[in-house]
Amino acid sequence: MAKPVGPDLILQASGVRKYFGGIHALEDVAFSVKAGAILSMIGPNGAGKTTFINVVSGIYAPDAGEIRFQGQDIAGLPAHLVAARGIGRTFQLEELFGSLSVLENVMVGCHTRMRAGMFAAGFSLPSMRREDRQMREEAMQDLAMVGLDGRAHDAISQLPLGERKLVGIARALAMKPTLLMLDEPAGGLAAHEVDRLVRLLYTLLDNGLTLFIVEHNMPFVMSISEHIVVLDEGAKIAEGPPGEIRANEDVIKAYLGEEH
Amino acid sequence: MTLKERFPLPWILFAAAIIALPLVTSSSYLIGVMIFIALYGAVAVGMGVLNEQAGLFSLAHPTWFGLGAYAAGIVATRGIAPPWMGVIMGALFVALLSYSIGAPLLRLRGFYLANATFALLLIVEILLAQLGPITGGHEGLLGIPPLSFAGFTFETDRHYYFVAWGLCLGTLWFLYNLMNSRFGRAIKAFSDSEVAASSMGINVPRYKLYVFILTAVMASLAGSIFCFYLRFTQPGVFGFPLLVELITMIIIGGGKTLYGPLLGAFVITWLREAIHMYLKDLLPRMTAEVDAIFFGILIIVILIFMPGGLAGWVSQLGRVSRRVFGKAGRA
Amino acid sequence: MTFLSQVLQYAISGITGGSIYAVIGISWSLVYLISKVLNFTTGEFVMLGGMLTWVLTGAGFGLFSASLLAISCTIVVALLLERVAIRPMRYPTEMSYMMATIASASVIKGIVLLLWGSETRRIPPFFGTEVIQFFGATLTSQVLCVIGLLLLVTIGLSLFLNRTIVGKALRASAINLNGAELVGIDIKKFRLLCFGLAGGLGALTGIVITPITFTGYEIGILTGLKGLVAAIMGNWTMTGTVVSALVLGLLEGFGAGFISAGLKDVFALVVMIIILILRTVSFSPRARRKTT
Repeated sequence: MAKPVGPDLILQASGVRKYFGGIHALEDVAFSVKAGAILSMIGPNGAGKTTFINVVSGIYAPDAGEIRFQGQDIAGLPAHLVAARGIGRTFQLEELFGSLSVLENVMVGCHTRMRAGMFAAGFSLPSMRREDRQMREEAMQDLAMVGLDGRAHDAISQLPLGERKLVGIARALAMKPTLLMLDEPAGGLAAHEVDRLVRLLYTLLDNGLTLFIVEHNMPFVMSISEHIVVLDEGAKIAEGPPGEIRANEDVIKAYLGEEH
Repeated sequence: MTLKERFPLPWILFAAAIIALPLVTSSSYLIGVMIFIALYGAVAVGMGVLNEQAGLFSLAHPTWFGLGAYAAGIVATRGIAPPWMGVIMGALFVALLSYSIGAPLLRLRGFYLANATFALLLIVEILLAQLGPITGGHEGLLGIPPLSFAGFTFETDRHYYFVAWGLCLGTLWFLYNLMNSRFGRAIKAFSDSEVAASSMGINVPRYKLYVFILTAVMASLAGSIFCFYLRFTQPGVFGFPLLVELITMIIIGGGKTLYGPLLGAFVITWLREAIHMYLKDLLPRMTAEVDAIFFGILIIVILIFMPGGLAGWVSQLGRVSRRVFGKAGRA
Repeated sequence: MTFLSQVLQYAISGITGGSIYAVIGISWSLVYLISKVLNFTTGEFVMLGGMLTWVLTGAGFGLFSASLLAISCTIVVALLLERVAIRPMRYPTEMSYMMATIASASVIKGIVLLLWGSETRRIPPFFGTEVIQFFGATLTSQVLCVIGLLLLVTIGLSLFLNRTIVGKALRASAINLNGAELVGIDIKKFRLLCFGLAGGLGALTGIVITPITFTGYEIGILTGLKGLVAAIMGNWTMTGTVVSALVLGLLEGFGAGFISAGLKDVFALVVMIIILILRTVSFSPRARRKTT
């Protein structure tokens, strides 16, 4: 697993803006994530949380602002380069690859760490076969970490929601990331599945990963986070440890009318 | 991959049958038809990988086939270089062209890409007919010398049979290895979800270009062999009718598997020969028309009743039998 | 010819072509907007119109009745197409619809080729061979018919889509298919209607243009494709399609006149590719992209 860079800040966002036509999806968002920490981003629906993850992971380029990962500005980098730098992510709607088996999905995560070129692959050279075997073993280990090694050769369509989400996490882990971003990992999960998720996340923390979680499930967020950032209508309205956030007036007002 | 996985038994048997065929028969007709199946099949397989597995609907493969044929033919007839070098030069030309056109074109989605590549198909067909001094115009190139390499000249049908099938099987083998490697996984990944694929570090535009160029070059190689076998080419061969034929092969054989289009090539070519023989007395010299009607109706029927094609049907059979006989494993 | 008269002449032929592409483009849009079907047989409808009229006039029918019959037959073909090739598809995608229509186009071409051979055919101009001289350029009566057709179609279609219940329902369905079905609109009937309309319009176009450009089994592909270019450029709207078609026609006319007649078709195709690519380029200056 990747080791964090000391007590440094893994991720620093400042002045991040993203507009979609007239809609201000993100307005001057700024905060930092400490290495080895769990930071959660919450906010009512449409607050811009998924947009923020998409901006960091390179799906969108921000219209303004800096996003420093391990000290280097990655704002505007395309997604595959952000991934190569060590940021892994999951998706709200899993976005798993239906044409591939569970194990193959995870192996896609190993992609960037491999060197074999098109010709080595097409002519089935020993170097490529060796790499492939290695990828397979490492992917199995990542699957085992999320407890799904028994399902390695199943089709994605055979898995229930909770297990599909775990495959998504295993796939991101296969990238050996420094920072792991999770978009609504607890969404749609039953209580025991959430517990399993929490245990998994703590294990990942112990292994040196930094976690950035976007989530709606309040009990989950409050129990697991060290630090919380609250977004409302694209702007950060509060930041702090769970206790503070729970009592924060602005946060409560933002959520008024929503059931939690 | 284990040795058994790298060289699956069915394919070994198939290759053996292919090699054995010209040794047990001397029927020029049979061998000739099989040459067509090999060459068209090679193009169809590449097109299947691009269109069905990578999800990039390109209708340009007849063009690459044709350009490979013309390039090699022009090089050989003008004496610019020996024929076998013409093959390589054709491949390089197509690689360059597909690279320059592919980069902007591959940003298009779905039917827009199909449209643009269709336009490309028509443009090249028109240009081939119009640039008389270079390409021989509507009549095409005649009197192309036979393929020769290291002093050996490929003269008989049997010679070209082995060259054609060597190319076809080689193409299949290469693509098989590719699709079973991280490349193949990357391709299937971005065909399912470009967003997720790029988030896993796959440079999607670059990979699309790779597959595009690779399959184009494969079609070009097949085209070059084609022109040396026939000893002539014409622009009309590489247009809409060929496109319909290739599409039929892919649809009938099933695009989701690698061998599907080759199976389709077999079925289509032999079916067509059968129909021609049957209708020979009824409709003399009406082959192109009959083909057009036949293929068209076949495509529609398959699209409606067997969308997965024959290979899809075979896979289903495989799944069912695996359940019945209890073997674990992957499709 | 003087330069001015040259320009005028090419412009006239350009507008003629453009008017044809406009009506064909509208045919494409009608079918695509209501059903997401890319109807590659649109070009074949055009071919059928001219071809069948030629066949029927040769069989002794007068021009007018031959035309009517040809249009009706083409409409029947279009309706058949929808019933046999489009409706039965169980898991349709844009691509499979497209392949089905390409296949149908192949079948139609094959049948025409089989029955009537590969030579180009012509039918006489409607109002004789009178010409009008116009600053040194020649304007035939047929050209006026073509332009008249365009006007008729656009005005007629506008009235239909905006003033009649069926037309309004059609527009609504094009905007929101699910919503339309929820209020009880039978999309399948509408699709059939649009196919029939496309068939009729295509055939009419073919008949009007044949005295000028002749007809043959293979004209369908290119003509249909140019109509498609116009529809795409015009973003599938009626005004956009008409404008784009006229622009395309003029480009073709000037290109064929000043550069090379043999490469006439290449212009439209190249324009199509360029337009398609330009559509994907984002012109937003704000979002910056780095490359390392």
